[in-house]
Amino acid sequence: MQSKCHLAWATDEEIRNKGANGGFVTATLVSALETNFIDLALVVKKKSVYEGILVLTSDPEEVKASAGSLHGVPINLAQSVLEYAADKRVGLPTKPCDARGIIELVKRKQINLENVYLIGLNCGGTLHPLRMREMAMAADCFGIDPDSVQREEITGGKLFLEYNEEGEEKEQGIKIDELERQGRGRRDACKSCITKIPIMADLACGNWGVPPGEKKTFVEVLTEKGAAILNNALTSGAIAVEDAPLEGIELRKKIEASMQKLAERWKGALDPLIDLSPSERFAFYKEELQRCIHCGACREVCPVCACEEDAKCLGLNEESDAYAVSMYNLIRIVHLMDSCIHCGQCEEVCPVDIPLTLIQRRFSERMQRHLEYTPGMDVTQTPPLNETKLRWSAEVE
Amino acid sequence: MAEEEWEPKILAFCCNWCSYAGADAAGLERRQIPPTVRVIRVMCSGRIDPAFVLMGFLEGADAVLVTGCHIGDCHYVDANYKTRNRYEFLKEFVEELGLEPERLHLKWISASEGPIFADMVREVTEKVKKLGPSPLRRTWKS
Repeated sequence: MQSKCHLAWATDEEIRNKGANGGFVTATLVSALETNFIDLALVVKKKSVYEGILVLTSDPEEVKASAGSLHGVPINLAQSVLEYAADKRVGLPTKPCDARGIIELVKRKQINLENVYLIGLNCGGTLHPLRMREMAMAADCFGIDPDSVQREEITGGKLFLEYNEEGEEKEQGIKIDELERQGRGRRDACKSCITKIPIMADLACGNWGVPPGEKKTFVEVLTEKGAAILNNALTSGAIAVEDAPLEGIELRKKIEASMQKLAERWKGALDPLIDLSPSERFAFYKEELQRCIHCGACREVCPVCACEEDAKCLGLNEESDAYAVSMYNLIRIVHLMDSCIHCGQCEEVCPVDIPLTLIQRRFSERMQRHLEYTPGMDVTQTPPLNETKLRWSAEVE
Repeated sequence: MAEEEWEPKILAFCCNWCSYAGADAAGLERRQIPPTVRVIRVMCSGRIDPAFVLMGFLEGADAVLVTGCHIGDCHYVDANYKTRNRYEFLKEFVEELGLEPERLHLKWISASEGPIFADMVREVTEKVKKLGPSPLRRTWKS
């Protein structure tokens, strides 16, 4: 156990075959539950390709049933950890945005990080379930019955759908780039996300850097907690580990860099405000925010919000301000300027389709650049909004 | 009757220990201050939540002034450092939103600096008169 990067796989053949690549994550969670290393595991159980159920369980069988990837269920687990398992030892597989949300909640003293085992997953992006249905159905795309899809997988830049047609198992793959040129593909937030490897979690797992054809998981150990849960699984015999080959490490870095480059390009392409004058920008924001009906859904799903019912955004808002730019909109923007992790959950749930991913990104990226602060990366950095010390040289006299 | 000239509404947050006394001093010295300014006294500029400023804008303020003791002079030791921090957030917010940056100001004014307060109000009034009413004041979608 000298090097930090490993190739690992489940020794249980059933888990190994069901898992997306090697079943390492499932095997680790199962063995941690069996050896009482953690009390609970929080996993997303697949109901269909478009639907998953959040399961908080101490039963290893439930965890086994959740094995495999689910790109069509883009939920964020941070608020669920807070709500159901804040005082338990809990292990969970996390996308980078889940992990960043949890780190932000730890900073706000909502979750004890000692209790949470973050098994990070490399993430190239998720798909909105409705968009995925459209893709499956559209004649110029997959052109199949969306309900016949049994499995989905993203490998090598291609989206594969396995489906059932007249009793026959079939598989089709289309390049993600091609889908995205048609305006389909991943969610906007994922297209422009540059955190592809969860370096803030305890372990970072994925198939980038695994030699082709092998059913193994590339695992990077990032913290002592991560080493502990890996060792626990190793000593109980649930997983087997070997050192990662050097070319694998290089390849993983290369994949990450190229995805980040693509994300930077998307950032510009998805931003219609980039060349607008301030007054045009104002008109855009006003037009979009005026549609808000104050249902509070964006606040409810936001992984970094921790004010609960005492929130200023609700307390200072006036009910009569529906269909106007309101305190709710403005306070939420200001409060998220230093801590928005750009996960896009708010846009997902908005009933009036306000482009919140874009709006929050415009405001928060500007501020975070100014502060030289990236939220959700380092627990020791407190949120700057209520700090006394300045992060920049003072300009006011 | 000729139509009255439009007068901007300027909201000034003044801290109890320095800038409110500064505004008072301006009056005692019989300096002319445009009647555009509305002063809200707070115990400390650190009490000024960004939400107050935003609410001011929504309620119809054409400009908002945040004033307090000089850095190092705060009655509550270091609270105006927080003001300075939050003001940076507001400044970035106002600029990104597309509102003119001239509508938001931060100024440190001590109890003896009445002229500075008067000059500032006059200056901001001039600027905002040119800019016209704030587009952020509360309006409903028709």
